Amino acid sequence: MLTEKTLEKIKQIQKNYHSKKSAVMGALMAVQRDSGNNLTREDMDAVAKILDVNPVEIHAVAGFYTMYNWKKPVGRHHIQVCWNLSCSLLGAEHLISHMEKTLGITLGETTPDSMFTLTTAECLGSCGTAPMMQIGDDYYEDLTVEKVDKILADLRARS
Amino acid sequence: MVNIKINGKELKVEAGKLILDAARDEGHDIPTFCYQADLMGIGSCRMCLIEIEGQKKLQPSCITPVMDGMSILTDSPTVVSARSSMLEFLLTDHALDCPVCDKGGECELQDMVYKHGPHTGRHAEPKHRHHGKDYVLSPVIIKNSNRCVQCTKCVRVCSEIVGVGVLGSIGRGIHQEETSFFKTYLDCDHCGNCIEVCPVGCFMRLPYRYTSRSWDLKSADSICTYCATGCRVVIEERDGLLVRSRAQLGVGLNSETLCARGRFGYDIVNSDDRLTTPMVKKYGKLEPATWEEAFGAIRKGFRSSSPARTGGLISPRMTNEEIYLFSKLFKGPLQSNNVDSSMRWSPEAVEGFAAATSMTAGGVSIFDCMDSQSVFVVGTQLSDENPVVDYIVRRISNANGVQVAIASSRGMKLDSCASQTLRHAPATEGDLLGAAALLLADKDAVRFAGNADFNSIKATGIDTLAARSGVSRSEIEALVSSFGSSETVGIIAGTEFLRFPEGSASLALVVEALRGAGKKVTVIPVLDRCNQRGAWEMGAHPGLGTAYSREGVKGLGFAGMMNTASEGKLDSIYIVGENPVVEYGDGNFARDAIGKVGFVVVQDTFMTETAALADVILPGVTFAEKDGTYTNQEGRVQSINRLLPPPGDAKRDLEIISTIYNIFSGTDDVPVKKSAGIFAEIREKVSTYAKVDLSFNNEKNTFNDLDNKESLVGGSSASLSMPQVTGSAASSLASDGHAGFTLVTGNHLYHSGRLSLRSEILGGFIKGAIVEISEEDADRLGITSGEKVTVAGSRYKAELVLKTRKGSASGVAFIAENYNDVPVHKFFRRGESVASVKIARS
Ligand code: SF4
Ligand code: SF4
Ligand code: SF4
Ligand code: FES
Ligand code: FES
Repeated sequence: MLTEKTLEKIKQIQKNYHSKKSAVMGALMAVQRDSGNNLTREDMDAVAKILDVNPVEIHAVAGFYTMYNWKKPVGRHHIQVCWNLSCSLLGAEHLISHMEKTLGITLGETTPDSMFTLTTAECLGSCGTAPMMQIGDDYYEDLTVEKVDKILADLRARS
Repeated sequence: MVNIKINGKELKVEAGKLILDAARDEGHDIPTFCYQADLMGIGSCRMCLIEIEGQKKLQPSCITPVMDGMSILTDSPTVVSARSSMLEFLLTDHALDCPVCDKGGECELQDMVYKHGPHTGRHAEPKHRHHGKDYVLSPVIIKNSNRCVQCTKCVRVCSEIVGVGVLGSIGRGIHQEETSFFKTYLDCDHCGNCIEVCPVGCFMRLPYRYTSRSWDLKSADSICTYCATGCRVVIEERDGLLVRSRAQLGVGLNSETLCARGRFGYDIVNSDDRLTTPMVKKYGKLEPATWEEAFGAIRKGFRSSSPARTGGLISPRMTNEEIYLFSKLFKGPLQSNNVDSSMRWSPEAVEGFAAATSMTAGGVSIFDCMDSQSVFVVGTQLSDENPVVDYIVRRISNANGVQVAIASSRGMKLDSCASQTLRHAPATEGDLLGAAALLLADKDAVRFAGNADFNSIKATGIDTLAARSGVSRSEIEALVSSFGSSETVGIIAGTEFLRFPEGSASLALVVEALRGAGKKVTVIPVLDRCNQRGAWEMGAHPGLGTAYSREGVKGLGFAGMMNTASEGKLDSIYIVGENPVVEYGDGNFARDAIGKVGFVVVQDTFMTETAALADVILPGVTFAEKDGTYTNQEGRVQSINRLLPPPGDAKRDLEIISTIYNIFSGTDDVPVKKSAGIFAEIREKVSTYAKVDLSFNNEKNTFNDLDNKESLVGGSSASLSMPQVTGSAASSLASDGHAGFTLVTGNHLYHSGRLSLRSEILGGFIKGAIVEISEEDADRLGITSGEKVTVAGSRYKAELVLKTRKGSASGVAFIAENYNDVPVHKFFRRGESVASVKIARS
């Protein structure tokens, strides 16, 4: 069930477009943000009803972009480490194994306290500041092991 | 026109043409996966890459138009190696399980790799697997995504052509899988078009699974024998069983598409309940008999009946040849004009409809109709009754921006393509069109001065007509103004005009008024039995002979025959392929009446309720076991070809009818075994068929011009009259009193008459009878879709499942005419198709 607040947000987003279904990406993002960083099948169904399209169209959009989390639940902070060419050359793999160790999980997993989920992403268009990662909506660039430790500690402290 | 070069040859081609089409026209073979002329171009598979001299990168020819001065290479070394690499990449994650794949032997990937591909691959990485075992996606679809080439044709056909859109591409890159929402079991149209367009063994037919290899099949070109759209099919058999019916890209008006009935209704042929031996009533009991005994009984039975007391009813699913000879038998040797082919409609309704839709003017192609600026769909549940016409309207209106208006009392799938939907009260097509005609004729009063139909609606007045139809005057004005702004108008008019014949006169006036205003009007009649138009044109009508010529003496239509029979005044009746006891608009009456006929002959493929009353039963055959021609609703004459022998002792229907003809003509002048001979006679005797060309049929048309106008019937000079019919529907409703809902009927998407109920595959799509009302009405009653309700009228009451339909008018209930468990005609007064009913949760 979508909350009143989310429904209101979707209504606002729809105002930016001529056609109902053009709001699909914004609507999905609003739902994901409001429901603990995850999208369920029921959410997609609900969005489909609002936008008056077949649910499979919503599923296809959500499935195309790595920013929508629907395959399995993710934690509060979704860490996506870029492992495409530039980032890999500058040590992405090293950062990944470091985080695997410190978080105690392997790629694709979520920490037991549901705080972090560690996944990879293809080029995030920030090669100039490689290696880099995205957590939630934010980019973290020119990474080193030390920087990563601090970022994770800060996030944990903030939550 | 632009100047281009293809492989060095200078050519002039139309500007804007795709390179692919230009090259194929020149006979160059460019392989494709994702390209399909009728679907939106996406240029994603890169099989069709070609080189344009001077451009560094290869270009996809399926989405690149020609430009002046282009020099195109379709077989340069770069192109050849790119093709091979693309295939190598496709195979890196392809299951390569051809030995167990149903598509093996007719797979486009196999053929392509054989022709263009690398025969060894360099990729050694583990393959990505979408899933383990194949999964079932619907009663007819089984899916193996590990074989997918990601052409997305399945997704596009389902949304762009079928208009259902339940498939999507989920994920991206090699993870992309074409499937349903979270792989849920589909409750869709079950048309199987996704299966047909799939180039590989991803979408597969569940009923056909593991029954045969493609090279072990024997096939014949045929036509779907359900509705009158006239879709071309190829039927295929293995070991005497029909195992598949499929469509072919570029063949017939339907090209690769079919509806559920056409693709999955073939299995009636294999039914164990087929009639296989003649039966003759001996001492009050039907017993198996020889053909000699059966013909002997018929010779005796008919001899003793007088012409005026003899009648014949033939199904509009029989071939032109059979119907021609049947009518000739009655109107010739048996000297009786009591012949009918439309049990459900009155002869007057038929004549009025044929007049209103200008059927005497000859065949008209649906593609010409869709060439209009605006198209008006009226009096038909097109999406359910003629699904492939629905596809054609959707595809062409979306591609060319044709304005579509739909007038109906129920919602339909095609509504989403319409710029205007008018929802009128059931049976008020005449009022709605009457109001439109008055608005249109405003400026042309002189033309209609002496027209009685016009004067009568004029006396009623626009506002009264609009009020009766339940559509506001402003909506009707909007419709008329959309006609006004178009030079060309297409009208697609269907069976509601036969159910409620009072609409035809108004339809005719609208057409006349538009033509009077200088517009080009193209009218397509849409019908629900495959050879209904042919049956009329072959003279199976009590008042009209071949090509709508008027008979000197008007015979009895089926209703007339039943009335005469009920008074004990019908000596004999010969019924071919119809089952009036369950399908006539008052089955019990028909049962009693037929019981009183002195001598009853029934020729059919199945034992029916009507056959049970016969003195002689003659086992005929299905479309798969005979040859002949059908005339579809547009007037396209197309042939079917036999693939199987008749089962048991059954005989081909033409052979049966010609034997009987010869008995009564006292000569042997009809060749007993050949349909070609009869068609030659039809050409000679029925002027409109003289020039019909059957030869094009089923020649694969590589250029996707699906129209073959040379097979359309010609026009005749016959003049039809618009019979005066009064508003019987309204009086029927008035006598019922208002009970909340107006019940109407028509065909179900998965069925056509009762014949399709014999199909096990189609039977699997719906369980039990359904009553359908609008979403708003259901909300108002507090009933949800899927609940059991009781539908009660003054003549009949039944319990059935309620379903809601988006966009239906309020107060309209619908029960299809195809259910055995709830025979809808029991709700109606005899010969009518509308009643007032109450609906409540049971
Ligand atoms: S069977 Fe027809 S409606 Fe169903 S998914 Fe396939 S194309 Fe779509
Ligand atoms: S399932 Fe078939 S039609 Fe659909 S994308 Fe894959 S290969 Fe193409
Ligand atoms: S039932 Fe009609 S639309 Fe469907 S396949 Fe047969 S002819 Fe075509
Ligand atoms: S490769 Fe990591 S941002 Fe481009
Ligand atoms: S056929 Fe041209 S890209 Fe697929």
